[in-house]
Amino acid sequence: MDYLVAVLLPQLLHGLVFGAALGLLALGLTVIFGLLGVMNFAHGELYMLGAYAGIAVVGVTHSFWTALIVAPLAVGAIGAVTEVTTLRPLYRREPLYGLILTFGLALVFREAVRQIWGGDMRRILPPVTGSTPLLGMVYPNYRLFLLAASSILLLAIWLFFTKTRAGILVRAAVQDAEMLDGLGVNVPRVFTLTFAGSAALAALAGLLLAPIFTVYPQMGVEMILLAFIVVILGGMGSMGGSVVAALVIGLAQSLLTLWMNPQRVAIAIFALMIVVLIVRPRGFFGREGVLE
Amino acid sequence: MNRVLSWRAVVVGLLVALLPALPFMSKFYLLLAFDALLFGAIAMSLDLLIGYTGLVSFGHAAFFGLGAYSTAILLERGVLSLWACLVAAVLVVGLYALVVSYFATARRGIYFALLTLIFAEVVYTFFRYTQTFGGSDGIQGVPAPRLMPAFAIDTPLRNYYVVLAYLALAYLVCRVLVASHFGKVLVAIRENEDRARFLGYNVQRYKMAVCLISALLTGIGGALYPGRSAFATPDLMLWTVSGEFIIMVMIGGLGTLAGPVIGGAFFVLLQEKVSSYVDWYFMVIGLVLIVIVLFMPRGLLGIRAMLGFKQWRATA
Repeated sequence: MDYLVAVLLPQLLHGLVFGAALGLLALGLTVIFGLLGVMNFAHGELYMLGAYAGIAVVGVTHSFWTALIVAPLAVGAIGAVTEVTTLRPLYRREPLYGLILTFGLALVFREAVRQIWGGDMRRILPPVTGSTPLLGMVYPNYRLFLLAASSILLLAIWLFFTKTRAGILVRAAVQDAEMLDGLGVNVPRVFTLTFAGSAALAALAGLLLAPIFTVYPQMGVEMILLAFIVVILGGMGSMGGSVVAALVIGLAQSLLTLWMNPQRVAIAIFALMIVVLIVRPRGFFGREGVLE
Repeated sequence: MNRVLSWRAVVVGLLVALLPALPFMSKFYLLLAFDALLFGAIAMSLDLLIGYTGLVSFGHAAFFGLGAYSTAILLERGVLSLWACLVAAVLVVGLYALVVSYFATARRGIYFALLTLIFAEVVYTFFRYTQTFGGSDGIQGVPAPRLMPAFAIDTPLRNYYVVLAYLALAYLVCRVLVASHFGKVLVAIRENEDRARFLGYNVQRYKMAVCLISALLTGIGGALYPGRSAFATPDLMLWTVSGEFIIMVMIGGLGTLAGPVIGGAFFVLLQEKVSSYVDWYFMVIGLVLIVIVLFMPRGLLGIRAMLGFKQWRATA
């Protein structure tokens, strides 16, 4: 019982917190993949830009809450400009070119950040301090806030995609962009705004996780691999699948650290993915023929 | 001379063979030339997948690194024969490539890129944290391999000719392959996979075969690397290295074989030149890649067509 409360429960919550934030990151990746057929290699760098934009805003305004609004908007704007100038000319070409292009974008973003802010590790102080007694243990307030914020965001995104006209347009574009174009919708604009939205989400995830993790130019490179695994596990292009898979990965990672050292955990996560792919080649919720 | 080997390729090969005779070719430039030829050959073998079959491998660094580790481990333990190292590399890389390609080719499109990437990351993580193989430091300071018991490949000049021989052989293999019926089926798969399947070709088997060939050529290149550098580190297998291989192919021109050789050499020289002046050369490389994808999808070889020298041919 002591073990349960003192070790297992906090670790479970850690996993949930991380999984929810990972879900935000993977969701944007999945939607962009569904829309453009491009696996966005620069997504990790947008996540990293979110944290650095947050540092910049906190430096000026000394308010984490302002940063939480301004940083995603700024990164969203960067995303929109990037989409219009580099990805839009590639719509008619094979997705291969888009994939390779985003790899180039990732290099440019990473190096730009390293030039502006330097390569050192940085930290953002959590805006909420202290901890709360919870189920017999004590849990940091910031992580509770993070869990609540990610859950509310995921819920809001779900409502956006099911209840609003804009969200339904995006889903229609994933299904059949050409048909949507024929119906008189400005499809390139849908693409650009969706890319901007996914960039803003990635930035938000980066900023929200920054007080728990450290901020450095390579931080996106490590997250993006995990996000790729989440997207594959969930089933390519399945938004619900991404969220479920993100929680599974988050929980698996934090529970496995109880029994293994971190590098074994990394290999165990890969092994988990390979096993899932053998048993269910299309991931949890992937459907046959979708985006293949 | 038939269409497999043009006179031009032979002339270029001979000129490259005479390169060390130039007065300014110091040891430093010889090693640089070694890298240019080695990565040119690796980019060329990757072109078999990307350019001809339409499969983007984001895991070629693992083939390269496994080859390098095979050699380094043997050399460290006193097995100095280059041939033994090559055999070991072929076995290790071949076995790994079979497993990866079995899973990766079962799925189409983007899955291939992601699965090769993740398998490569498993290999990277394994070597990064296995202390038997040096952990994150890798294997350092291995002795030079020997071509024959009394002939060590211990000078930059000897290394240069070894890598040149490897490039020439790899080029021949790729040319023969591309001109063969097998190569035509690969292009058919790239153009229309369903149609190739309806014609009765076992598409997955063809994909696995070309993966294996490309991986082996890359692995042999990797096996030559410790002879030049005296080390093998996990950093050789980072997925960003796989990305650099793709950049080399794109710079040179997809589906041309000769293009990626030029692209690889260009990349190595660009990196060397730019990084000696500024510390943000990754930015330059990223921008070069973006410009090429956007404006010159045929790469450096495409410039000929732009200038109107010759009609560009898609593939052989």
